[in-house]
Amino acid sequence: MTTRTLVVAGHGMVGHRLVEEMLTHDRHGRWRVVVLGEEPRAAYDRVALSSLLDGATPDDLALAGPDVLGDGRLRLRPGTTVTGVDRRARTVTCDDGTETGYDALVLATGSRPFVPPVPGRDLPGCFVYRTVEDVAAIRAAAVAGREAVVVGGGLLGLEAANGLRLLGMRPRVVEMAPWLMAQQIDEGGGRVLAGAIERLGVGVHCSSALHAVGAGPDGRADRVELADGTVLDAALVVFAAGVRPRDELAAPLGLERGGRGGFLVDGWCRTADEHIWAIGECAAVEGRCHGLVVPGFRMAETVARQLVDGAGEPFAGADGSAKLKLLGVEVAGFGDAHARAPGAIEYVREDRRAGTYAKVVLAADGRTLLGGVLAGDTRAYPVLRGLTGRELTASPDELLTGAAGGS
Amino acid sequence: MTGVVIVGGGPAAHRLAARLVGYGHPGGVTVVGAEPRPAYHRALLGSVLDGTLDAGRLALPALPAEVRQLTGVRVTAVDRARRTVRTGDGRALPYDVLVLATGARPRVPPVPGLETGPGRLAEGVRAVRTAADCRPLSEGPVVVLGGGIRGVETAWALSGTGQEVALVHPAGHLMERHLDAAGAAVPAAWLAGRGVTLHLGRRAAEYTPGKVVLDDGQVLAAGTVLLCTGTVAETALARASGLDVREGVVVDALLRTGDPRVHAIGDCAEHAGAVGTTVLQAWEQAEALALTLTGRQRPYAPGRRVLRPRTPGKDMVVLPPAGPARPDNTDGTDDIDGTVSLLDRAGGRHARLVLRDGRLHEGAVIGSPSAVAAVSRLYARDEPVPADLLALLTGADGAYAGDGTLPDEAVVCHCNNVTGKALKDAWHRGAHDEAALARATRATTGCGGCASVVRRLCTTLADDGDDTPAEGATP
Repeated sequence: MTTRTLVVAGHGMVGHRLVEEMLTHDRHGRWRVVVLGEEPRAAYDRVALSSLLDGATPDDLALAGPDVLGDGRLRLRPGTTVTGVDRRARTVTCDDGTETGYDALVLATGSRPFVPPVPGRDLPGCFVYRTVEDVAAIRAAAVAGREAVVVGGGLLGLEAANGLRLLGMRPRVVEMAPWLMAQQIDEGGGRVLAGAIERLGVGVHCSSALHAVGAGPDGRADRVELADGTVLDAALVVFAAGVRPRDELAAPLGLERGGRGGFLVDGWCRTADEHIWAIGECAAVEGRCHGLVVPGFRMAETVARQLVDGAGEPFAGADGSAKLKLLGVEVAGFGDAHARAPGAIEYVREDRRAGTYAKVVLAADGRTLLGGVLAGDTRAYPVLRGLTGRELTASPDELLTGAAGGS
Repeated sequence: MTGVVIVGGGPAAHRLAARLVGYGHPGGVTVVGAEPRPAYHRALLGSVLDGTLDAGRLALPALPAEVRQLTGVRVTAVDRARRTVRTGDGRALPYDVLVLATGARPRVPPVPGLETGPGRLAEGVRAVRTAADCRPLSEGPVVVLGGGIRGVETAWALSGTGQEVALVHPAGHLMERHLDAAGAAVPAAWLAGRGVTLHLGRRAAEYTPGKVVLDDGQVLAAGTVLLCTGTVAETALARASGLDVREGVVVDALLRTGDPRVHAIGDCAEHAGAVGTTVLQAWEQAEALALTLTGRQRPYAPGRRVLRPRTPGKDMVVLPPAGPARPDNTDGTDDIDGTVSLLDRAGGRHARLVLRDGRLHEGAVIGSPSAVAAVSRLYARDEPVPADLLALLTGADGAYAGDGTLPDEAVVCHCNNVTGKALKDAWHRGAHDEAALARATRATTGCGGCASVVRRLCTTLADDGDDTPAEGATP
């Protein structure tokens, strides 16, 4: 039996999950796997990036252990960017001039940080927050005791702000939406979150649009101007205002893109070319991009199953569940956190003494859990997330206070 | 002895006079009312307006013959030194005890054109306060000013008669003293469903007969303007007599003013900082004062009374704050536990409860008859709330599909897509702690968020002493 070649373009968390799935399930060694990663290092836990500012080293974040790296079926080529694909010849060209043939090509190119197009965004002192190198650059540029601004009050922006705080800076977060983490949590949760973040010493400016980054006499960023005229001192500016799919190969490959970018794929993550798939943040599954890692994992599993068994389930979609845990601040949103389902019922408990907020979203039957928001106390998160889409196994009051099952 | 003189012809005065006679008050009882007819049930005036009740049926039961009733007579002055009241028709009535039950008058918002002179409403403008206000409406649409309880009730009543109704309210949502925005959306939808046009966040800027101009320039046709903009306690007499008046006539727990021979009850009285009563509270005050005046000293303690706005066919209850929140000495905040709320937009249900010491302190329930009944009962009796508040607010049976743990099919570790069943199977194959389960299933090796559930599962399985094969354990 001939060995086939899988080329994975991109070695982020999702690309690596595909590698692991292939090595685990391809018991008969029918595939060899070539991974072409743009970053200079092998895949690492990007979700834990902020821990680099809290004592962790890049090695602590590495995802591939010796068993994977030493597997003869795998060839890992970090620092290699795919520049072109010849779909007819089924070869991939890289920036180092090499050509690699494939039987299956999986695009896992991830995404790039979105930087709002404002004047001054390229000044020295402006950073993004996506890679180990980004964090190293921020660390090198940080000036303890000075102000910094993080543009974006989502999960990543809040982690970045906490990182700057750990570097001794005085960060403020600027967010367009009326509250922090607006994608994952509702206004009530946002209120608790903002209070907790401010108690950490991080300033919060919501409903605020960025107007410009201003330079000081030395030509470096030294302030941020908001649309309402407010000027915030900022020796350092971090953009964490969302991501855009890395789909620049779509045009040269002649592949279709989704409405908001990303390689357009079907429910099995297949492009129109039967030899090419796309997974993770660069994939527009049935037109929709997913910006969190867990949906990407599910896509990787779907594709691995197709390659190994020629079967498997389609990607079933994934909710935007997310949990933030910073020193003393815990919030989480799961499932239909904004109660968008028709007929959804919202049940909210606010404990004034404990400073906690909890919302449970139920279907119109009053029994089926659709989602929720937890702020101040997220101990119920794993159980509630697991119950999402199912009937409640106890009253929400019991589940929220942990009286059921303990914790 | 000369006896008791009661100034006012409303339900509070009526109840006090009846009770004094009933309790055998030895002296005379005189009621002096400015309205041309004996006391009637003011709270039901809305039903007269929409035609469901005849004005004649509002009358309260006739007072006993022992009570001397003067109707259409205005008290013009009180001479406290001589213990005498003077009336507009020139009488001087001596008293041993004077009770002010002068009530309240409608508050007229400062909108040019509503009044032709002080206290004189323009043509087409009326309050819903006296029986005279319930004469048949003029032709044309009705504009209700005010979206509090009275405004909502009035708009509800009129819209049921086919009358074209618009409601103008300066706050952003209805009944804002009692409801939050999400809750107020429910009665707003009810009214809209009955054809009432709501102008929220808008003020009337000008009235000329036939039309109301709003502050955004909109012009509303108005055959009649109904004022539902609250009331002002009638305190002129008390003030002129030198009694302490803040918003109302200030009284102590025995409903006494600073002059031990002068009392005040009902809408004109200010007790414990609160002015304005429901008719039930006015009657409670009349009852307490009648007992006190007949020798059984009875301090007035406001009962826990719910407010039930009259929107027949739709259930709504408002729980007024049960006294002020007590400051908590430990951290300077008050002793409120927190709030619980339910919002069911599609089902037209809302509830918001403020809890104190595990009991109901304040709140509102809308759209659910069973929840309205259950919550009203708990509030009135000041009983502890049940553990399952969702069931209380939805009227559900409180039965749930399990014991609070995750079912086997549920995903425990989302990073690695590991179900409870996969974990149990691994446990039965010998992975008896978190680390072993992680090696066997990869659960907990992603973000680690499921570790608490995995640990709990280990404990539960170990406690069960259940190490039979997986097939047997999870059929």
